[in-house]
Amino acid sequence: MVSMQRRKSLKVRWEKAFPYWLLVPAMAVLVLAQVYPTLYSIYMSFNKLKGGKLTWIGVDNFLRLLRSADFLNSLEKTAVFAGGYLVLTLALAMCVALLLNRREFLTPVYMTILFIPWVLSDVVSGTMWRWMFQQDYGIVQVALNPFVGNRSLLSNDVGAMLVMIVSSTWRSLAFTSLVLLGALQTIPKEIKEAAALEGTSDLRFFWDFTLPIIKPTLLVITLLTSIGGINSLGLILATTNGGPGNATTTASVLLFREAWKYGDFGMASALAVFMFVINMALTFVYFRVLKERD
Amino acid sequence: MIQTKNRRWIGSALTNLALIAICYLMIYPVLYGLMTSFKTQGTVLTMPPSFLPPKWSLDGYRAVMNSDMFRVYLPNTAINAIISSLVTMPIAALAAYSFSRYKFRWSKALQLAILGLMMIPGLTNLVAIYRIGSVLKLMNTHFILIIIYTAGGVPFTLWIIKAFFDAIPREMEEAALIDGCSPLMSLRYVVIPLSMPGLVSGFLMNFVYTWNEFLAAVVLLTANSARTATVGLYDFQSAYEIAYHVLTAACIVIMLPVVVTFVVARKSFFRAMMDGALKG
Repeated sequence: MVSMQRRKSLKVRWEKAFPYWLLVPAMAVLVLAQVYPTLYSIYMSFNKLKGGKLTWIGVDNFLRLLRSADFLNSLEKTAVFAGGYLVLTLALAMCVALLLNRREFLTPVYMTILFIPWVLSDVVSGTMWRWMFQQDYGIVQVALNPFVGNRSLLSNDVGAMLVMIVSSTWRSLAFTSLVLLGALQTIPKEIKEAAALEGTSDLRFFWDFTLPIIKPTLLVITLLTSIGGINSLGLILATTNGGPGNATTTASVLLFREAWKYGDFGMASALAVFMFVINMALTFVYFRVLKERD
Repeated sequence: MIQTKNRRWIGSALTNLALIAICYLMIYPVLYGLMTSFKTQGTVLTMPPSFLPPKWSLDGYRAVMNSDMFRVYLPNTAINAIISSLVTMPIAALAAYSFSRYKFRWSKALQLAILGLMMIPGLTNLVAIYRIGSVLKLMNTHFILIIIYTAGGVPFTLWIIKAFFDAIPREMEEAALIDGCSPLMSLRYVVIPLSMPGLVSGFLMNFVYTWNEFLAAVVLLTANSARTATVGLYDFQSAYEIAYHVLTAACIVIMLPVVVTFVVARKSFFRAMMDGALKG
C-alpha cells in the first residue's frame, strides 16, 4: 500500500519534471559551448594572456581599445558596410519579393536559382568574386577597366568596400526576399480585388496597403539584416582580407586580426565584449519589436 | 476585356523578363566559376577574358583530386557536417516539444534566452573557445567543432521545429495519449511525422551552415590532417594564386553537396521560411 503510494508520487514527480528533462540535452550543449565561452571571454577581457597564463589587469584592455586608431577606423568601416548592405539588401529584396509574388509559371525555378548564392560558403564566394575582379584577367574587372583607370576595384578603398557590399547583398538577397514574400502572401485577396475594382494604381496600393501590412516583418528583417551586417566576417576575410590597407577592416575583421594575426587576445576579447554588448542591444530592440507585433 | 487580357499578358512577360535578368546576375559568378573550372593553365588567363573555355579540359578537377582537398579536407568536412547536423535534430526536437506542449515555470524566460543566444555571433565566443580548446587539448579534433556547430545549430533549429509543433492541434495527440502512448511515443509517431517540412528545413539549414563554416574551423584547426574544405580552399588561394581553373574547380567540388541537398529539400524549406519561422 505504502509502496504503491510512493510509486504514484514518484510518477507524479516524474511527470512534473518531464518538460525539464526534455530540455536537458539542449541546455547542456548551449551552456557548454555558448554561455560558458561568452562568460569566459568577458573574464578574459580583464586579463592579459602571456606565456599561456592569464593575469588580471582590470580595464586596461578596454582603455587600449578605446585609444587605438584602428578601433575608430573599424567602427567607421562597420557603419559604412552595414549601412550600405542594409539599404541595398532591403531595396533589392523588396523588388524581388514583389516580382516573385506575382506567381508566374516559372516562379519556383527562379526561387531555386536565386538561392544558389545563399548556400555557398563564404570562402567559395570570396574566391569567385576575387576571380571576377582579378587585376589583369578578371572578366568583370576588364569590362570595368575603361571607367576605373585599369586598377582592380579590390585594390582601391572605395572599390573594395563597394565590392564587399554588393557581394554580401548577393549572398543574402534570396533569404531576405523569401521572408518578405511570406509577408506579402498574408495580404488578403479581398483587399487586392477591392483595390483592383476601384482602379487603384499599383504604386498607391503598395504605399497604402502592402507596406502597412508587411511593416512588422519589415522591421524584424531590418534588424536581422543590420545584425548580420555588423557581424559579417567570413566573406570579407575571403575576398579582401580587410584590405587594401584598412579599407574593409570592420570591427569583426579587426577582432580576428588582433587575435590571430597579432596574438593580442586581451585586446581581441575586449573587442568581443564590445561587440557582444552591441548585439545584445540590438537583440533587445528585436524582442521589443516581436512583442509589439504579437 | 481584350484590353485587360493584353495588359495581363504584357505584365506577365515583363515580370518574367525581370526575374530572368535577376537570376542571370545572381548565378553569373557561379557560372563564370564553373566555366573557368574547365579551362587549362594556358587558357585561364587570356586577354580579353573569355566566358566559355576555348578548349574544355578537366585539368583543374584532376589537380583537385590529387590534392589534400579530396583526400583530407572534404572527408573531414563531411564528418563534421553530417554528425553535427544529425545530433542537432533530436536535441532541438525534444526541446521544441517541451516548449510547445508544456506550460511550466521558466518556459518563456528560457525561450527568450535561447532566442537571445541565436543573436550572439560566433565570433565573440571564438577567442574564449580558442583558449579553452588549447587548455583542454581539443584543438584539431572533430569533437570541438561538432559541439560548437551543434550549439550553434540548436537555437534556430528549435525555433523552426517549434513553429511546426505549435501548428499541430492537440486533439491529434490526445487520442494517442489516451490510447496509452507515452509523450515520447506521441512525439515520435504523431508529432514528428506531421512536422516533416520543419525537420527537413532544419536539417538543410544545419547542413549548409556546418558544411560551409569557416571561422571556427580556421581558428581551431591548425594541423593539415584536421582541416576542412573551406579552410583548405582559403589556403589554396595563396598556393594556387593565379591557377584559377584549379581554384574554381575546388569551389565547384565544395559547393556540389550543399547545392544538391538544397535542391532536394527546397520545397520544405521555402514553406517553412514563408510560414513564418521568424514569427517568434
